[in-house]
Amino acid sequence: MEGVAIIGAGQTRYGDFPNKGVKELFAEAYLEMLQSVDQSLDPQMIQAAYIGCLSAGSGFQLGQLAPLLMGHVGLPNVNAVRIENACASGGFALYNAACAVASGKFDLVVAAGVEKMRDVSSSKGRYWLGVSGDTEYERLAGSTFAGIYALMAARYMHEYGLKREHLSMVAVKNHKHAVANPKAQFRKEITIEQAMNGVPVAHPFNVWDCSPTTDGAAVVLLCNAKIARNFTSKPVYLKGFGAASDYLAIHDRNSITRLAATRKAAAEAYKQAGIGPGDVNFAEVHDCFTIAEILAYGDLGFCEEGRAHYLLEEGVTQLNGKLPVNSSGGLKAKGHPIGATGCGMACEIFKQLRDEAKEPSRQIKNARFALSHNVGGSGGTAAVFIYQRGDE
Amino acid sequence: MGAHISIPMYQRAVPQRYRLAGQKCLKCGKVNFPPKAVCKYCLTGAEFEEIQLSGRGIVYSYTVIAGGGAPPEFSEEARCKGKYPVVLVELEEGPRVIAQLVNPPAEGITIGMKVEAVFRKIYEEEGVIRYGFKFRPATSDS
Amino acid sequence: MMTKNIVSYGVYLPFLRIKRDEYVNALGSCSAAIKEKAVMDIDEDVITMAVEAARDAIADVDISQIGVLTLASTNFPYQEKVMTGTVIEALRLNKNVLTCQHGNSALAGTEAFLAALGMLEQTEQKYALVIVSDSLSADASMDIEHGFGAAACAFVLAKDEPGLEFEGAYAYTGESMGLRYRLPGETSVRDIGVKTYATQAYNDTVKNAVWGLLGQLGRNPVDYSHVILHQNDVKTASALGKKIGFNEEQMKEGLLFNLVGDTGACSAMLGLCQVLDNIASNDKVIVCSYGSGAGSHALSFKSTNQLLKRTKSFKAMLNKKQYINYIQYLKLKRNI
Ligand SMILES: CC(C)(COP(=O)(O)OP(=O)(O)OC[C@H]1O[C@@H](n2cnc3c(N)ncnc32)[C@H](O)[C@@H]1OP(=O)(O)O)[C@@H](O)C(=O)NCCC(=O)NCCS
Ligand SMILES: [Zn+2]
Repeated sequence: MEGVAIIGAGQTRYGDFPNKGVKELFAEAYLEMLQSVDQSLDPQMIQAAYIGCLSAGSGFQLGQLAPLLMGHVGLPNVNAVRIENACASGGFALYNAACAVASGKFDLVVAAGVEKMRDVSSSKGRYWLGVSGDTEYERLAGSTFAGIYALMAARYMHEYGLKREHLSMVAVKNHKHAVANPKAQFRKEITIEQAMNGVPVAHPFNVWDCSPTTDGAAVVLLCNAKIARNFTSKPVYLKGFGAASDYLAIHDRNSITRLAATRKAAAEAYKQAGIGPGDVNFAEVHDCFTIAEILAYGDLGFCEEGRAHYLLEEGVTQLNGKLPVNSSGGLKAKGHPIGATGCGMACEIFKQLRDEAKEPSRQIKNARFALSHNVGGSGGTAAVFIYQRGDE
Repeated sequence: MGAHISIPMYQRAVPQRYRLAGQKCLKCGKVNFPPKAVCKYCLTGAEFEEIQLSGRGIVYSYTVIAGGGAPPEFSEEARCKGKYPVVLVELEEGPRVIAQLVNPPAEGITIGMKVEAVFRKIYEEEGVIRYGFKFRPATSDS
Repeated sequence: MMTKNIVSYGVYLPFLRIKRDEYVNALGSCSAAIKEKAVMDIDEDVITMAVEAARDAIADVDISQIGVLTLASTNFPYQEKVMTGTVIEALRLNKNVLTCQHGNSALAGTEAFLAALGMLEQTEQKYALVIVSDSLSADASMDIEHGFGAAACAFVLAKDEPGLEFEGAYAYTGESMGLRYRLPGETSVRDIGVKTYATQAYNDTVKNAVWGLLGQLGRNPVDYSHVILHQNDVKTASALGKKIGFNEEQMKEGLLFNLVGDTGACSAMLGLCQVLDNIASNDKVIVCSYGSGAGSHALSFKSTNQLLKRTKSFKAMLNKKQYINYIQYLKLKRNI
């Protein structure tokens, strides 16, 4: 298997952009990615593109979105394909791009994600948020993902004594991290009182436990590790990548206080990278709802199942803690443009591992290994990546 | 706007939705619900006997959906009630299933609470009423 | 000769109730002499209530022996559709049961009962299932709406099995215009609202049916332990019962209007269910329905044996409830 390196990454700011559609968002991220490549690169060398997207701008181009977008940025003749696994679309685009490079078939591959969610009424928005859960049972029980994660949270609280405050600690932390991130949707701190007393969404969640709806795009450029240094002196190596699935409907799963897909994907990624959870210096995890970050701690091996709230109490996952999680602000505060999220995480890690995090206050120092974790819906799919800095 | 479950598709699920028809795996004897092509317990059995589930079970987990958490086809219900509970029920026969809870107790829903299935309108699309099961707190004198 | 007996019955009352006080607080008055009434939830209709009442009735019955299904309501959710099909699927009945649906007036309940008696002769199977489920609707702006309630009940009739034996029926039907009617496509009941005229039509029709039945069976009012008359309100029904020759003791268990409201096609049959909870051997019961337009069916029964034991008592169902306010009521009725 060939080694895989990231040599460029770019993303739009996440937020609400009435003047930008799917094409504009994608182009902005793509052009920023090209600029981030240190040495000259002829874009025509790019051979393939995997683009994660769920709704294609609320359905305007559900079929063949990838060639449309690649044509829009001057690459009409690459091997382009849309990848869809709900909120993990970006992660699976990255995974498939990594496999394509690792196989030796291609040397230069784009992995990208894009989502335009703020163009539609809140009712239409919820329509799209509800197409990726189990539509026959979960949705017809009157539940979107907020409700499904709420069921996990209630059970976790019941089994492990997690408190409402712990959920809010995730929100407070991630909002705090986002303040210094120029790419984040929400750049304001919130207090724990605020976080505990928002408008109810699905008990025990209020609005502060939820990721928002977001416009945004993210693009990374993968390269065969052998030639990475032709393009940059600071490649970031993708040392491990794993992906897995699970029963789509929550009622079919054995346990709802863990995501089996995450565990399987993480095991695959750790094994390939030859490291363990203890070696990870910082991580971007999928916190679409506050409980999701708590589940992730256990599923990624940062703690035992059921003990995640102690990590929060001890501040381990704060920016200045031993294992910073979601330095970007996470889905909660950086934003969650469904299809883009998985690649946006890679952008954050690319910047951090190259010591290029904008706003020096948020730069994580002396990190060697990082991890990103992207979940589809309530855990029907998950992808996990291990990154290693390349300038050592 | 609905969930794009066509009328013929809904019709095919009538036995499971109207009266909780379950599948007993002929290989391992465990009960699957909702139906699968291959048994979710032994992961090999593909032949089943239809059995009638009792509709009784306990709450495994629960949530209460407010307006912002409701899919659009349930927004009228959310508007009318302000909020509605959704439960994950562990059925007497083993499988779990997600559905709404009606008549929630005033003192609050608890994990472990006994419930029983009840026949209700689920939603309406294309002018056709989609009936199915929900749950309600078990009637204490039964 | 073959006897036909009620061997089991079931009831469904919606969980939600509204008190008369809510009307008084909101509107200044309430035109119905109720204490409270039953209200369907937003996800209920007469079919969901019918299925629940029937499940209660057939809990201990061998459903493979059900050969007849009759269903009655004045307020079916579809104007055209075979709704017994929904019930058959929900209850897992044989798909070859003989079916019929009755609607169009509050007489539908006893019509469905009488139809089942006849259809039972056409099947090899032992049982007929009769389901009466009703909820009345009128615009919130109309006084007549105040008393409109909702409920369902179901009965299993058997050939030659001891239970509550059907003894005979007497019908009385004639023309009486302008009282509780609907034109095609309308969802709200109309009524010309002339009180004495309406009471007279009710009194004449019900009285003639009951008298006719007593005469036919050679009985007197005192021969009956229980009498249940259709109730548009308690006062008129009680007054008429007394006029016919019944006393309060005979009538009290069949009166439900003040707790559930006007349940239309269900009214008299629901009263029968409450009576059956405590019926003694050899008790005789007379039931009389009334549909405006107008007609009545009087039915006579004799208790020959214990009915199938029920898990839920009628009293317990009356007590299982949650009160809503008038705003919530209007929301449920889709008025706001
Ligand atoms: C939480 C949620 C229901 C809120 O929706 P909404 O009430 O329609 O929100 P709006 O977009 O109308 O925003 C209203 C206000 O709340 C703020 N807001 C919205 N979502 C927010 C969030 N998640 N966190 C913090 N603030 C939020 C907005 O900024 C806006 O503030 P303003 O009035 O000061 O501008 C919605 O964001 C949601 O569904 N999130 C979950 C997304 C999801 O399921 N993703 C898939 C995960 S698997
Ligand atoms: Zn099996």
